[in-house]
Amino acid sequence: MLAGTGRVHRIDRRGVRDAIPLFLPVIPFGFVVGLAITESELPVAIGWASSPLIFAGAAQLAVVSLAGTASLWAVVVAGFVINTRHVMYSAAMSPVFRAQPRWMRWAGPFLLIDQVFALASLRTDLETAEFRRYYFTVGGFMFIGWQIVTSVGMVVGPVVPDSWRFDFAVPIMFMGLVLLAVNRAPAAVAAIVGGLVSLAAVSLQDRLGILIGAAAGVVAGAITESVLERRTVIVPA
Amino acid sequence: MSTGAALTIVLGVALTTYSMRASVIVALADRTMPAIVERALGNVGPAVLAALTVSLAAGSADGGAASLAFAEAAALIAAAGVAWWRKNMIHTLAGGMLTLLVLAAIF
Repeated sequence: MLAGTGRVHRIDRRGVRDAIPLFLPVIPFGFVVGLAITESELPVAIGWASSPLIFAGAAQLAVVSLAGTASLWAVVVAGFVINTRHVMYSAAMSPVFRAQPRWMRWAGPFLLIDQVFALASLRTDLETAEFRRYYFTVGGFMFIGWQIVTSVGMVVGPVVPDSWRFDFAVPIMFMGLVLLAVNRAPAAVAAIVGGLVSLAAVSLQDRLGILIGAAAGVVAGAITESVLERRTVIVPA
Repeated sequence: MSTGAALTIVLGVALTTYSMRASVIVALADRTMPAIVERALGNVGPAVLAALTVSLAAGSADGGAASLAFAEAAALIAAAGVAWWRKNMIHTLAGGMLTLLVLAAIF
């Protein structure tokens, strides 16, 4: 790399080293997404293209699982809602990206998935060009790896017997994601209320219960947040 | 499903995903978000993922009452326990699927 010139020529080995352990848990998830694509109502080519175009595991899984079983707008809104957390990533990374060239501010966010955010946010002290090289190494590694594992899942999917119940691997993976996303009490309340309301509304057409449950969960989380805040103010530590 | 509808869905979600990732970096680079908005956004992920899990596990696209077999419910609970304990998606998937297959074979 030519430090300080803004030119990037080589892969950042440190980025690869950091990305590998975070990519390992992605492998079974990508495999499940690949399987889901083969069972989706989406035409196979478009289902496959969702990997490089969307490049967001949970949203992609929701899209391929819901397509054809829910109304068009409900699928798009579900994908939108699932990815809302990316606005926070964008907000958190904006000071670092401010020093980057304009093309980087436009191209970089495409790769801003959970794992890339987690690693890049720990390297914000790197020099501008060095950060760019690290960011694209980690993001590129995740992007290429994701295409490979989802493609493998698509190839292997059709020959897996139904008795192996891989269809149920999807809600199992989502259940795991819920637990990993819960890091504070308000988030736990949001998840519990979201799940319960979704269950109560499960008989609604077009899986509308997802949106209703999610909205109820966010409101419950916000209420919990303000109650906890008030307690902290009243009873100072 | 028609090719047009499928393309609309995939491109629509791809565009909204990119827009959310780029929104603050590109458009609001010199401003900060209100703390209350940031906190509310933090609860969106858990809420929607939980709602999605329940709907995919117990619901169907055409409505109808919720249905979940004992083995499936136990598999979800086992997956939740493993995820909480190990914080690892490979272990979560293995724990949930193993529970499902064993209980489905027994009952």
